[in-house]
Amino acid sequence: MRVAVTGTPGTGKTTATERVDADLDVVHLNEAVQEHGLYDDVDEDRDSVIVDLDAVREWLGDRDDVLVESHLAHHLDVDRVVVLRCHPETLETRLGERGDESEASIRENAESEALDVILSEAVDRHGVESVYEVDTTDRTPEEIADCIDAAVDGEREPSAGDVSFIEYL
Amino acid sequence: MADNDEKWGVAHVHASFNNTLITVTDQTGAETIAKSSGGAVVKQNRDEASPYAAMQMAETVAEEVLAAGIEGVHVRVRGPGGNLQKSPGPGAQATIRALARAGLEIGRIEDVTPIPHDGSRAPKGKSGY
Ligand SMILES: Nc1ncnc2c1ncn2[C@@H]1O[C@H](COP(=O)(O)OP(=O)(O)O)[C@@H](O)[C@H]1O
Ligand SMILES: [Mg+2]
Repeated sequence: MRVAVTGTPGTGKTTATERVDADLDVVHLNEAVQEHGLYDDVDEDRDSVIVDLDAVREWLGDRDDVLVESHLAHHLDVDRVVVLRCHPETLETRLGERGDESEASIRENAESEALDVILSEAVDRHGVESVYEVDTTDRTPEEIADCIDAAVDGEREPSAGDVSFIEYL
Repeated sequence: MADNDEKWGVAHVHASFNNTLITVTDQTGAETIAKSSGGAVVKQNRDEASPYAAMQMAETVAEEVLAAGIEGVHVRVRGPGGNLQKSPGPGAQATIRALARAGLEIGRIEDVTPIPHDGSRAPKGKSGY
């Protein structure tokens, strides 16, 4: 089985996926993108490389039993998509403490989260029946890891649109 | 389209997975002239992002805006426009059509949906839409 763990930067994907029990190889896609140059352009305004999704798909090949962790993971061919969510104000705090993003980037990520950008993309591409939305606000990385394991093990029903953060705007 | 005319406003349309918000401001964004959210016009949460809700909201908002002496709006759409709909969702499109039908002139339409990024980002257009 191929599983994507996606979500706006700061929702805790990297932290939680380091704690999953599932018998899947965890791929931290951000590292692979940098290490193997899986991008073909640069967005200067956002200080970000523009990922070449075809190059990523090719690099991943037909590897099975993987859990791909990235805010781009839902663009790949996967069987299940876990979408981590976080209240935009909490997200700002987390990203501020992580300390690697500009104020403008933190704000844009918080707005993305408030507008459900990644959830909508995930549902659009994979359908509600393959999406597992997990609210991480006020929960520990261990609890989030358990939710991911439950989705992988089929002990959790698909869900989407259970949180609403639009009042942040 | 007279750009610096006081008779023009800006319609900010926020279209999330679950909801649509419409806020009309003056051209500087400082003064709010009218606003509405999907929650105000439909009973079921899951209908808040629907084109129907967007149309109802747009009609009410357009009335208020026209009453305030505004004749036209530039439109800024933010958000994917949820519930299995394409971007900018029918919510956003229905909003713009309803604003026009209610008698407002429509100026520039801009998509200013934020892009999640963390040192990498998805290419535009290939991001599922
Ligand atoms: N469940 C959580 N509760 C509180 N803080 C968290 C949680 N998960 C992650 N964090 C913190 O938030 C920041 C972002 O987490 P990270 O795993 O890097 O997010 P992502 O990989 O989704 O961008 C880090 O500083 C991390 O320590
Ligand atoms: Mg990460």
